[in-house]
Amino acid sequence: MSGNSGIPELCVKALMSEGMDKAESRLLLTRKTELNVDSGSFSLMRTTDDVNLHLMGIRDNKKGTASINKTDDFSLKSGVNQTVELVSSGEPDSAVDIAEMQPSERFIRGPLEPDVDLMYARMKAFLEYSRREYPNLILEQVILDHTRKQRYFSNSNGVNFLSETGVYNFMAMFTSRKGTSTSSFNYTSISAEDLDKELYECGGADRLMKQSTGQTTTENLQGSFVGDVIVSPECMEDFISIITGYLGDYPLITGTSIFKDSLDTLIADARITLSSMPVSDQLAGGYFFTGDGFKAENSTIIQNGVLKSFLLSLYGSRKTGRKKAVNAGGFYVIDPGEAGFEEMVKSVKKGILLCRFSGGEPSSNGDFSGVAKNSYYIEEGELKFPVSETMVSGNLKEMLTSVKQISRERVNSGSSVTPWISFSGITVSGK
Amino acid sequence: MKRLDLKKYKDLFAGYTELRVQENRNSTITMVDGSVMNNSMNSESGVSARSYCRGSWGFASSPEINEESIGYMIKAASDNAAFLDKHQSRGEPDLPVSSAEGEWDYSTKKPVVSQKDRIGFAKDIDSYITNNCSRVSSRTIVVNGLDMEKQLFTSTGSSSFAMTPRTILYVIMNVDTDSGPVELYDVMGGRGQFEDVLTEPSLFYEKLDRLYEHLLMKAQGVFPLAGISDCILDADLAGILAHEAIGHTTEADLVRGGSVAADFMGKAVASPLVSLVDFAHTAMGETCPVPVHIDDEGTPARDVTIIEKGILKNYMHNRESALEFDAKPAGNARGFRFSDEPLIRMRNTAILPGTDKLDQMIESIDKGYYLIRPSNGQADSTSEFMFGVVLGYEIINGKLGRALKDTTISGVAFDMLKTVTAVSEDMSWNCAGMCGKKQPIPVGMGGPAVKCRINIGGK
Repeated sequence: MSGNSGIPELCVKALMSEGMDKAESRLLLTRKTELNVDSGSFSLMRTTDDVNLHLMGIRDNKKGTASINKTDDFSLKSGVNQTVELVSSGEPDSAVDIAEMQPSERFIRGPLEPDVDLMYARMKAFLEYSRREYPNLILEQVILDHTRKQRYFSNSNGVNFLSETGVYNFMAMFTSRKGTSTSSFNYTSISAEDLDKELYECGGADRLMKQSTGQTTTENLQGSFVGDVIVSPECMEDFISIITGYLGDYPLITGTSIFKDSLDTLIADARITLSSMPVSDQLAGGYFFTGDGFKAENSTIIQNGVLKSFLLSLYGSRKTGRKKAVNAGGFYVIDPGEAGFEEMVKSVKKGILLCRFSGGEPSSNGDFSGVAKNSYYIEEGELKFPVSETMVSGNLKEMLTSVKQISRERVNSGSSVTPWISFSGITVSGK
Repeated sequence: MKRLDLKKYKDLFAGYTELRVQENRNSTITMVDGSVMNNSMNSESGVSARSYCRGSWGFASSPEINEESIGYMIKAASDNAAFLDKHQSRGEPDLPVSSAEGEWDYSTKKPVVSQKDRIGFAKDIDSYITNNCSRVSSRTIVVNGLDMEKQLFTSTGSSSFAMTPRTILYVIMNVDTDSGPVELYDVMGGRGQFEDVLTEPSLFYEKLDRLYEHLLMKAQGVFPLAGISDCILDADLAGILAHEAIGHTTEADLVRGGSVAADFMGKAVASPLVSLVDFAHTAMGETCPVPVHIDDEGTPARDVTIIEKGILKNYMHNRESALEFDAKPAGNARGFRFSDEPLIRMRNTAILPGTDKLDQMIESIDKGYYLIRPSNGQADSTSEFMFGVVLGYEIINGKLGRALKDTTISGVAFDMLKTVTAVSEDMSWNCAGMCGKKQPIPVGMGGPAVKCRINIGGK
């Protein structure tokens, strides 16, 4: 996986010599070492090498993009020719462009080589722990991988970036069974730059497995009510994804985003601060430059409830006439609040602790509805029972301004840091 | 992709081994409000090997396809299996053996259409919308082609070549209303390359007209009443129900992982009107959207009847689960990319048509809903499911009423299917499905319209 750093620059030169006005190229080399557990037993060891070479050319404001997974001379030539052909067939769009000149930089982060024996030992310990502590729990699938990524970027404005990252990723998916009663499945995902801790100690893994064993018997709620919903840190990641889904290129270019006119205005409770932190030491992995060739910075998306940034790429920015984001999103962090989780539950008269949300894609006006999975009914400040066949629905805009409390406890999954947040005015409907 | 003689590597195999060389080619044109936002082609190819050693699997892959890398991948896969076997010694018996040989090439025989003409196709569709759908405030057209070409050789003696393409046309329209934009999409196309599937833009005008009519109705739409209601699920929703809520719970790896279907084999899980089949390659005399003749473990593919007249009859297997469940594998093991190991996957999953007429099914409902188009869908090990619904209508006194705003339906599939009281005589396939498990993979989903009682979200 060495000796490839010059390939994007070579491709850019080749594209320019074919008459392009502007060109960019990026190369991603991925090596993955993966251990898999199925139904509680080690099942597969997998090692994969992967290559992705992206070539982009612009001529007369017409853009074409090709990608291949080979770097031999013949393939590079074919890739360049294909890009040129795509450019020729394209339609002019004055918004297409490439990143301006920035100083060349090289970034390195995380362990670049896996410790396979330690990976095996941590997985084994995780299996033994779950068998011992949660005998009714079935580990449907568990995956621990080490992923090494080498990224190279070049463009015809002279941008040259290189990064090498290594990260361990862990995912466990599980259900519980007692007799013939089955819980809903649940899962946990964690990323880390080392394996110093046991896997069950990371993120919310242990809490979620413990919850699962108590979810084999559920109750239905009758009728519907409007109440409070405490969203768990894991589930909060899904809602962040819904929120940021309105802030990217497509909804802003098409004018369908509910936040299209909301920059620098209050869109959420003043206690909400949401940041995108791809270069934070708090998180694992991350990225140092964006796909369109800009050095990435951490940014605040929502500050004290005020929308401070969209997530526009260079193209989206030029197309909409709005400011480009300083990163490509992801690696989200929500600031902690002041309430303790127990205290938040105690303050709910009637509501739901929402631990997983199986929802339809929200409509373009922000309405959402979905099934509350692995979730609990709360009454008079007490968690009463796990629920099934229970739907929650609301409107994202209204929900963001209806925050009751934010917990001081947060869960760091390695790719996000999120607290529990309670919202009022959510419709909960049973059978 | 260059055809290789994979049989010559047989001597390098140490025990059970699959050797696969694969290329996926993807092309996408995205036109948003007349601008070509994406004009791209992607191709990726490589070799992978998977070995089995007493219950432990090893897998290795590389994008390099040459003598040296193929030999190295075979050894690396074997070494990986040995690593696990050394640590855990599961001592499982050999896998069941079956073999088959064949070649299936679904590529076009017509001259290749240039990228410029493909963009021209998208522009024609775009012009038709701007000229005929005056209230549309934003429009998106996506033309996507995926060719999957696989060569396989296994230690059990299976050998196959398959080139399985599909081409999809997505159209999304928005109109502005006082309460914000309202969106609706349709998806067209299916098995085959661009030259065979998107032959002439005018063939799609009628569908665009219908999409626009539905969108205008939806712009004045209402929320359904939340709660359990009589509903007709049209073909696309019946298909996603078959796939998500029943299909996944009857994949043997999920059964082993705690799916509720583990307790239901041979039992009534649905109305006797319901039969559900995962078709391998041919259904009712027609080639399926995603034909699979030999799977990536070299197993000859055949249909799996999952539910027959309401009774759960079979799970879907790979070789390993078939051994554990004392069943016969039917060709459900598939990998998406060259670097993906085969997983138990559905192929073309459909509820079989019945004998009822859709009009009469609608007429039979006093108060309920006719639900036509899903957005996304998810299901659980309990068979509890959720589907987004982006197009539907009220049924009042046996007639269609106002359109619905976006909503969600949910239920427990093995309970809900027992409420089915009518199944229409016609069925259709949704050919654009991409199923997500550990990897994505193209699937076909189909069905007739189904009358049932279901929980619908609302306000």
